Amino acid sequence: MTAQTSDGPTRAAVRDRLDRVTDPELDRSIVDLEYIDSIEIDGGRVSVTFTLPTAWCSPAFAWMMAVDARDEIESLPAVETARITLTEHMHETEINRGVNERLSFAEAFPDADGDVEAVRGELDEKARVARQYDAVETLLEAGLHAEAIVDLRLRDLEVADPGANTARADSTETATDDTIAIYAHDRSFAVSVPAAPLERYLEKARETTLVTDPDERLFRTPEGEPIPLESFDLVRRRGRLAQVNMSSQGGICDGLREAREGRLEETADD
Amino acid sequence: MAYGNNNHDTMYRNNGEEIFVIDGHVHLWDATEDNIKHDGGEEFIQCFYDYHTTFTPEDRQWDISEYRKYGADRMVEDLFANAATDMAIFQPTYLTDFYTEGFNTTEQNAELATEHPERFILNGTFDPRDGEDGLEYLEKLHDEYEIPGVKLYTAEWRGDSKGWRLDDEEAFEFLEKCQELGIENIHAHKGPTIRPLNRDAFDVKDVDDAASSFPELNFVVEHVGLPRLDDFCWIAAQENNVYGGLAVAAPFAQNRPGKFSEIMSELLWWLGEDRVLFGSDYALWNPDWLVGEVLEAELTQEHRAEYGVEWDLETKRKVMGENAAELYDIDIEAKRQAFQDDEISQQFGLEDHYASEEPAAADD
Repeated sequence: MTAQTSDGPTRAAVRDRLDRVTDPELDRSIVDLEYIDSIEIDGGRVSVTFTLPTAWCSPAFAWMMAVDARDEIESLPAVETARITLTEHMHETEINRGVNERLSFAEAFPDADGDVEAVRGELDEKARVARQYDAVETLLEAGLHAEAIVDLRLRDLEVADPGANTARADSTETATDDTIAIYAHDRSFAVSVPAAPLERYLEKARETTLVTDPDERLFRTPEGEPIPLESFDLVRRRGRLAQVNMSSQGGICDGLREAREGRLEETADD
Repeated sequence: MAYGNNNHDTMYRNNGEEIFVIDGHVHLWDATEDNIKHDGGEEFIQCFYDYHTTFTPEDRQWDISEYRKYGADRMVEDLFANAATDMAIFQPTYLTDFYTEGFNTTEQNAELATEHPERFILNGTFDPRDGEDGLEYLEKLHDEYEIPGVKLYTAEWRGDSKGWRLDDEEAFEFLEKCQELGIENIHAHKGPTIRPLNRDAFDVKDVDDAASSFPELNFVVEHVGLPRLDDFCWIAAQENNVYGGLAVAAPFAQNRPGKFSEIMSELLWWLGEDRVLFGSDYALWNPDWLVGEVLEAELTQEHRAEYGVEWDLETKRKVMGENAAELYDIDIEAKRQAFQDDEISQQFGLEDHYASEEPAAADD
């Protein structure tokens, strides 16, 4: 963070934080999805403006993204407060007020019946299943068999830098060429695989508190149970399906965003 | 505007083989400013229009004024003269809190459906929150129109209610009534989450319990549950009376062909070729270009290898018409005969198309 001014974060640091915020329905970074319109830094105060593909995107999902963006940015030591502004959304007033006045969803939307944690948990679970697919494919490509994969425990994974997992919140993303060692068959042998798909999976597996203990099974059915060997292929199919679902919805969102931008350009030309 | 262009034969031919097309999802709506009584009505039609422009080829897009209300004459011409559609199923959308006369109620759709009963199937609806009045209304729809199915919006707000579930006790009463009246086809709208709900308004899991509790009814999940395709396929894989309606997924064929291939491969893998139904969602998308796009779409080599499924003539015949015919007791051969000189064929000069047809060769 060489470019950091004495009293505020760098733009790169803010962007890096925002990159960790995902659209919960698509499990993709809101930076990659190009939702961010602007980042303004004034000393320890950071303002972020963002826009979703349509004015009708789920307010619950918009809320989660706004809250996550606020919390991610405020976790930077150089930041005092983050101000989040959602634009061109049918419920931008409630969301902006709620997020910046630090209300709960139920307080911001008195006509909704309760909070957003249940649906957030459900979307995290779907993201976990989709990410597991990539992790398992990585292991299959490395030559591991189904028998070994369903039997893996958290302790069988050895990251090059053992502190990397827990310290990731404060460190940079895993480099693309990092590898991870997997000890299979009662640790009788190890294979080395690309770390990124495993890291991504572990991140969600931890968030959903599914895999926390070193002795716990690493991979699970969508319902969270250990995978019986005979169900291995079906669980793979369900993981693939979870990915197709997310990327299909992503296709709809991309299209709607393009249509909206096209319309705004036309209006600007008038 | 390509209105009036005749791009395809009215009977769709795929490598010389005809395909009977039943559009499983059409509307005749009125979203004119005069009919809108709540801001939600304007937001709703604008939202539809976004979907329309996003997934319609640029030279086939309508302008917003014709999109608000297109009328019965144009609908008939779009479907039967300009598109390769042979029959269509009306799915009502009431939204009476937003639109003075409703958006497209059973009664509104009935005006056209009863004019051409040989071409249209008319579905009704129910809302379990209407209680006794609702049951009476369902009976009335049955008595008046002999509706063979219902379209349901579980996420519709009403008063303090933020929606309902198909597995609610009250919903079961209505499903029992459907069974009793012989209303066999239950179309549930399960699409994108729109309104500010803290929970998932279009969760598909309620279909599971309803489908297993009412094995004699058919549950067609519209929009194949997108964006809940994963939950939908998993439920459908276990309940053989659960079907997938392609509205929203179909137009991917046009500008997201790889995605279309992937979604179709998943559906064919999980549900098989007998439980997927084509629907244009007219006028969200116009079948005058959509039917051709879907029939000409191909699964990628990669997906065919991965899923072991085919989008071949036999599958297309089922998805585009035969599966709906099965659910709605439509005799396709008898229809072909009848369409040689029905009113629509006379109006648009289609007699030759049907008259020149050889009976479809059995392809087994």
